Amino acid sequence: MLKRMKKRNVNVKGVKSGEEALEFLKQNPVDVVVLDVKMPGIDGIQTLREIKKTYPLIEAIMLTGHASLEVAIEGMELGAFDYLMKPIDIDDLLYKVQDAYEKKSIHGEKIKNMEKGVGLTIDSNNFGTTKEGGAY
Amino acid sequence: MGLMSDFINKIFKKREVLDTSKVKELRTDFRARYHQFKLLLTANNNALEIMTEMEEALKGTWPFGMNFVLSRCTSVSTNVWKIVRHLNELAPGRYKALMDRFKEIQKKINPIIRSKTRSREGPMFIPLKEVDKDMADQVGSKIANLGEMGNRINLKISGGFAITAQAYYRFMKYNDLQAEIDRLIQTANAKRPDQLYSLSAAIQQLIIRSILPEDLEAVVLEQYRILEKDEGKGVKVAMRSSALGEDLAETSFAGQYRSELNVSGENILHAYKEIVASKYGLAAMTYRLNRGIRDEDVAMCVGCMSMVDAVSAGVMYSRNPLNIRDNSIVINSVWGLPKPVVDGSAPSDLFIISRSDPMAILRRDIPVKKQKFVCYPDEGICRLKMIDEEGKEASLTDEQAIELARLAVRLEDHYGVPQDIEWAITTDGSVVCLQCRPMQQMKEEKTLDMGEIREEVEGTVILQGGFTASPGVAAGPVFIVKKDMDTLRFPKGAVLVTAQSLPRWATLLNRAAAVITGQGSIAGHLANVAREFGVPALFGVKDAVDLLEKDQEITVDADGLRIYEGRIDSLLKETEKPRNLMEGSPVFMALEGASRHIIPLRLLDPDAPSFKTQNCKTFHDITRFCHEKAVHEMFRFGKEHHFPERSSKQLLGDVPMQWWILNLDDGFKDEEEGKYVRLENIVSIPMLALWKGIAARPWEGPPPVDGKGFMSVMFQATTNTALVPGVRSKYANRNYFMISKNYCSLNSRLGFHFSIVEALVSDRSSENYISFQFKGGAADFNRRQRRVFFVMEVLEEYGFRVDVNEDTLIARIENHEKDFMVDRLTILGYLTIHTRQLDMIMQKSASVNHYRSKIHKDIHEIVFSNQ
Repeated sequence: MLKRMKKRNVNVKGVKSGEEALEFLKQNPVDVVVLDVKMPGIDGIQTLREIKKTYPLIEAIMLTGHASLEVAIEGMELGAFDYLMKPIDIDDLLYKVQDAYEKKSIHGEKIKNMEKGVGLTIDSNNFGTTKEGGAY
Repeated sequence: MGLMSDFINKIFKKREVLDTSKVKELRTDFRARYHQFKLLLTANNNALEIMTEMEEALKGTWPFGMNFVLSRCTSVSTNVWKIVRHLNELAPGRYKALMDRFKEIQKKINPIIRSKTRSREGPMFIPLKEVDKDMADQVGSKIANLGEMGNRINLKISGGFAITAQAYYRFMKYNDLQAEIDRLIQTANAKRPDQLYSLSAAIQQLIIRSILPEDLEAVVLEQYRILEKDEGKGVKVAMRSSALGEDLAETSFAGQYRSELNVSGENILHAYKEIVASKYGLAAMTYRLNRGIRDEDVAMCVGCMSMVDAVSAGVMYSRNPLNIRDNSIVINSVWGLPKPVVDGSAPSDLFIISRSDPMAILRRDIPVKKQKFVCYPDEGICRLKMIDEEGKEASLTDEQAIELARLAVRLEDHYGVPQDIEWAITTDGSVVCLQCRPMQQMKEEKTLDMGEIREEVEGTVILQGGFTASPGVAAGPVFIVKKDMDTLRFPKGAVLVTAQSLPRWATLLNRAAAVITGQGSIAGHLANVAREFGVPALFGVKDAVDLLEKDQEITVDADGLRIYEGRIDSLLKETEKPRNLMEGSPVFMALEGASRHIIPLRLLDPDAPSFKTQNCKTFHDITRFCHEKAVHEMFRFGKEHHFPERSSKQLLGDVPMQWWILNLDDGFKDEEEGKYVRLENIVSIPMLALWKGIAARPWEGPPPVDGKGFMSVMFQATTNTALVPGVRSKYANRNYFMISKNYCSLNSRLGFHFSIVEALVSDRSSENYISFQFKGGAADFNRRQRRVFFVMEVLEEYGFRVDVNEDTLIARIENHEKDFMVDRLTILGYLTIHTRQLDMIMQKSASVNHYRSKIHKDIHEIVFSNQ
């Protein structure tokens, strides 16, 4: 999936667990995160919670092979941009990532308007993804 | 003077700065709202699509598993949740209560689709000596019956033990296997046989690779040591699958699962895993799918018994399986192990024995048996060539055959139903029962002998010929299907008559008594589904559509290739009822139960006082409600914010009627000052497509009304205030466009005629959709409804999916490429204008035909000829 996203000119990076993702976010600015729900170590919901707590502007899309109504709604309530299920068409996933990015930049713009000069720098071409090892 | 002008300049500049920042803020705000709106529309469209898919599934024409139920319910919930969130962001605080409605509905769906957690108590093994048929829920029915034979009927069975359902759950839980299996099934989304095959292989490998919990291993090995004490060191065992939970359906499923014969002690654990894995064998998976059995409801129990080194063995039935009235005992027997009889791979001896007193052998067929299966000394079984003399000999003596027959009768008496018994005769000549189960009672096997014309039957033959696509005989009234629209009116129990065997008619097969087509293939989908549902089908009856008349009662003899006038009861007696394979199954019921909180739509009329949050009872209600309110909120923005550049403008130019346009985002090429916008300045793809159809032909005014049509309008006028002069409805004759580059909605109200077109058209074809709603009219209900059906017919021809509810029409089309969508919008634009007052003429079929051909001609010229 990473390869196919790169082919579509998305600046994308893959990591193998929630812990790795949080570590990566400390060092790198990221706009959108795609994450699985079942992962080794801390699970997707917990990872999402951490991401939203520390980086409220980052948009997160959950993508999972384990359909679950409860987890879906829990994730949405924690602020996930969407909850998607595998298998998914790569283009459809990309559209979601684009929409999530658009949401983020509108949000960023609003904040800029409100606090002139304190604006956030957004690296407009950075999509980060975390994924479960070898699942794709 | 200089100072003064400087001052004035400064003031103006400052003001300009303020204005631009104000405008910028508004623009950002608007962009945010439009973004929410767009996301709401996408979620709305997704939710509706999934609901349609669920509805299709409930028609029961194709099988689906729990993964379908679960993923669709989850997906529809996620989308509806998003719709509610986006609406709340469009109008903060105004629709808070909707989230509570959502949660209440979701709470009702949850228990229906959630997997039941099983915390069964009980041992992981049970010695066979302690098993009887009441333990089927612990050891599966096969082993329970075996225990019953040994312990209650006192027949000879092998010693051993059962590995229980509890052990199975322990194994699955230990490795968290169910979650991983569900993930594999969901992700594979297997539809084709080859995909299903690799899915089955992947799951089986996963199970075999998994680790057995230590306590389970210890228990199994301990039980084996006890068996060794009784039967001798190094005793080999037969390991038989005994599935629990499939008995819901009244069928037997021999050979679906694995059994391992002559297994040595060191391989018992591995064989156990292989048998558990065979739950996901291809045939077993397909079977569960087709019968709507939940995966998680099936637990694999395994019987582990000392191996019988059979001299001869086989299977017997306590009655003739091909003829229920024949109570003779039927025995199939071979030398060695019973494998060739069980799988039908080689010839076997046949004995038919009468139930008379004393019993007598009625028939004895002894073919040459060229091979037999025996146990290897170390492990496994092997095939041995037989020398001629031995192969010609009967594998049973007459005395043995009679002894077996008595045993069969004894078992049938005990259970009260005919039995299917697998047995073996050991070296010391005693009979050992290997398993027994209720016999599957079949009618005489029906063959697909094509072209075989039956003996004369009394009755008038109307048509003859064609070929059998699905066997059987059925009667019912003729119903001719030409268009999708006809399927809506298809009555249950009618005979489906159609020119071609199109796959889309398959959805009628759970309602149709029989099928007749002018042409078609027996390998096609329609034929397949007809056979699956047991609906008799006769294909290739050339003049069927012309010669048969609607509502005419006929009998279709698909085997005899004949169609008779009226009901021919002598033919009908032999046939059984068609079936919906999934109806009533746990999977089907889960979807049906969940869909009750998802699919029904009660909030139809946005003007009705009941159109309120608290009346949203289903996800469909919420979806409908939010969509309506979102459109409302978007319009309000222009009004509330006095934002001249973005508020609605009137379309300028040589156009009839008034058209108002609200630019949501990037629908104009250049920003417009003032109150008007010119068509050249509009870049909205869907709006331009619609407009092409709207403006293509001048409207010729209302068609000449037939006398009754006019009276009907007059009558309506007395009850509808919008027609009364002076009480003009504020929306009368106003048309509102909301546009962006890729989006357009048109609310148009022309007198009594109300329509909404909404379209999203871009290069993202998976998000493209058009929806069209059409309602009202001035004439009486009957004529309005006729017009709606007329419009439906036209739309269906161009690929729309159309629903009609009373006089309201809702049409949708989605996921096509941009160009295709653009053409469809042009057609809608044309129809919006030109079908306005057709309700007046709907009584006269001559004028209906005139308008039908005019519409087709116009559409062809406008849309399809100048490309």
